Amino acid sequence: MLNHPPPPPRLGHSLLPALWICPFRPFFLATALSALVGMALWLAVLAGWLPAPDTPGGPVLLHAHEMIFGFAAASIAGFLLTAVVEFTGCPPIGRPALRLLALIWLAGRLGWACSGVVGLIPAATADLGFMGLLLFHITGPLWRSPQRRHLSFFHSLLALGICHAGFYTTQLRGQDALPWLHLATGMLMILIVVALSRISMRLVNDVLEAQGGMSTPYLARPPRRNLAIFAIGLFSVSEFARTSGSTTGWLALAAAAAVLNLLNDWHVGRALFQRWVFIAYLVYWCMGLGYALIGVGLLGGQPWGSAGRHLLLAGALGLASYIVMVVAGRMHSGWGLDPRPWVPAAALLILLAALARSLAGLPAGSAHHPRLILIAGSLWLLAWGLYLARSFPVLALPRPDGRQGCDDAVTKR
Amino acid sequence: MRPAHPTRRSFRVAVERLGAAGGYLWSGWGSVASICLFLAAWDVAAGHLGELILPRPQDALVRLQGLLTEGQAWPEIAITARRALAGFALSVGIGSLLGLLAGLSVTASMTARPLVTLLVGMPPIAWLILALLWFGAGDGTPVFTVFIACFPIIFVGAMQGTRTLDGQLRELARMFRLPPWMRLTDVILPHVVSYLFPAWISALGMSWKIVVMAELLSTEDGIGAALAVSRSHLDTAASMAWIVALVSSLLAIEYLLLEPLKRHVESWREFASSRS
Repeated sequence: MLNHPPPPPRLGHSLLPALWICPFRPFFLATALSALVGMALWLAVLAGWLPAPDTPGGPVLLHAHEMIFGFAAASIAGFLLTAVVEFTGCPPIGRPALRLLALIWLAGRLGWACSGVVGLIPAATADLGFMGLLLFHITGPLWRSPQRRHLSFFHSLLALGICHAGFYTTQLRGQDALPWLHLATGMLMILIVVALSRISMRLVNDVLEAQGGMSTPYLARPPRRNLAIFAIGLFSVSEFARTSGSTTGWLALAAAAAVLNLLNDWHVGRALFQRWVFIAYLVYWCMGLGYALIGVGLLGGQPWGSAGRHLLLAGALGLASYIVMVVAGRMHSGWGLDPRPWVPAAALLILLAALARSLAGLPAGSAHHPRLILIAGSLWLLAWGLYLARSFPVLALPRPDGRQGCDDAVTKR
Repeated sequence: MRPAHPTRRSFRVAVERLGAAGGYLWSGWGSVASICLFLAAWDVAAGHLGELILPRPQDALVRLQGLLTEGQAWPEIAITARRALAGFALSVGIGSLLGLLAGLSVTASMTARPLVTLLVGMPPIAWLILALLWFGAGDGTPVFTVFIACFPIIFVGAMQGTRTLDGQLRELARMFRLPPWMRLTDVILPHVVSYLFPAWISALGMSWKIVVMAELLSTEDGIGAALAVSRSHLDTAASMAWIVALVSSLLAIEYLLLEPLKRHVESWREFASSRS
């Protein structure tokens, strides 16, 4: 066999020698960087250290868009491109295609940064191109897999892509595009329920097996999941369609109850308090409480929407992204699960950030609103800074076993 | 291996029972979600029909809260509950006993069947008219109507429970010379109760519906009478508040009392099927 000469070093190759060997690596890195840069700039604007960006729709729209379609979209891309390979057994996306996807995602962020000058078309082209390309890469394997058991990922991502297209269309027409972001929040929550049902089955059962008690194995029951997805979807559509506030309020409470109902599956005894399981468990608590706050606010005529929404996004989405990145990121880079205390510490920081931000939007915290937002943002920065510091070698450096690709590590606890 | 200390064991049992109770209550979130979806549908309908025809659920709830805090609701709920439970208790006692006895004999079962069909087929409103003639306005009419409407359901449940008793099990109990009390509690009752309980639950639900209908037409107090008053005042919000009170109390009795009892009584089925 001929030995091929090593490829010529690329730009950044020495700093990030193994960034492209598995799809989650560049995107999880982008997620963490996006969480840090986006929040740091937002806090600087709120504190008055930076002038408010002159972007279409104003700074709040920019913040919301970047948290959903910058931060969350990167983590979704990293997760889906890796998970679909594992679920379907198809070959992973090639490195040139991966580089192109990451580049388009970055172009979208730069497009928004310059949108005050060049308008929204470049950002819209990049962002929608990113969504379309991501859909293209996951659709084939999901469609070809036997029984098409994971097609719900395609549906969720397609719904998210439609929301994004609707957002840009409305914004380019000069209308209020925020309802599209609210709808996208609902689609994200559905995606979390779909993804967490798969991830949790492995997480919880691994822990149960390790504890030696598999008398009642954990099962994420489809009827409960379907009820939660149905209720969240109905609430999101009702909110988007601007039906009566009380109808939407009842639907939000239905979504909250349906999400809390999902926790019935999780009450499996001691295994629940194992860190990997408990962090994922907290995702549903944040989601349930978020919808409950929105519902009670709507029914009582109180402006609690922002408080509830931040529990959904900073709490449920933040923790879901974090647990996926910590578990899948380590396992698929050959390092095995991380037993160090920073893992629960960073999760606690994300949870506290979500609670503080939520409190800032409630009457109890209104007197300390700016301080609570600053505290929430700082906790968020600390959490993701901690993640980045600890996970940079995992994402950017070669695997410890010297292998290429996304193969699992041998589980060590 | 040394057996666990009795105090520790009872503590563990208490914790397990507490956990099971918590698990049961937590499983109610699915029902809460369904009820909230129903309330949303009600809210949509209210938005289309208008406040006079159908008030919004939150208006009905606020009205109910007002009735409860002003002290108007509790006496009426207590009167209705007393009548419903009296009629229900009568039908449970008499219906279960006669049904069990009828089940012991094939001839009795055969004879009872057309009578039960007749009783089931008779509309409660017809019984109500007869009861009004027999008992007049007062407690007797709603209590009797509830009793006679619930009786056939419980009778049939008890009869089927006795008829379907496993003959081999009874033979086994006889061969092992089980004492009569043990034969009753360990062989006969677990099986019969698994038929009786669903019948009791159905009858309980029916008793609440029928007592209100009877009160509406025959008495001056109770939830039914309050409904009649609110209807005459065209006070739809108050009517809905009373209906919510009625349905809520029914749901509370069924899910907080009867369903846990049913699960406890029928736990042997789960145990048996897991061993088979």
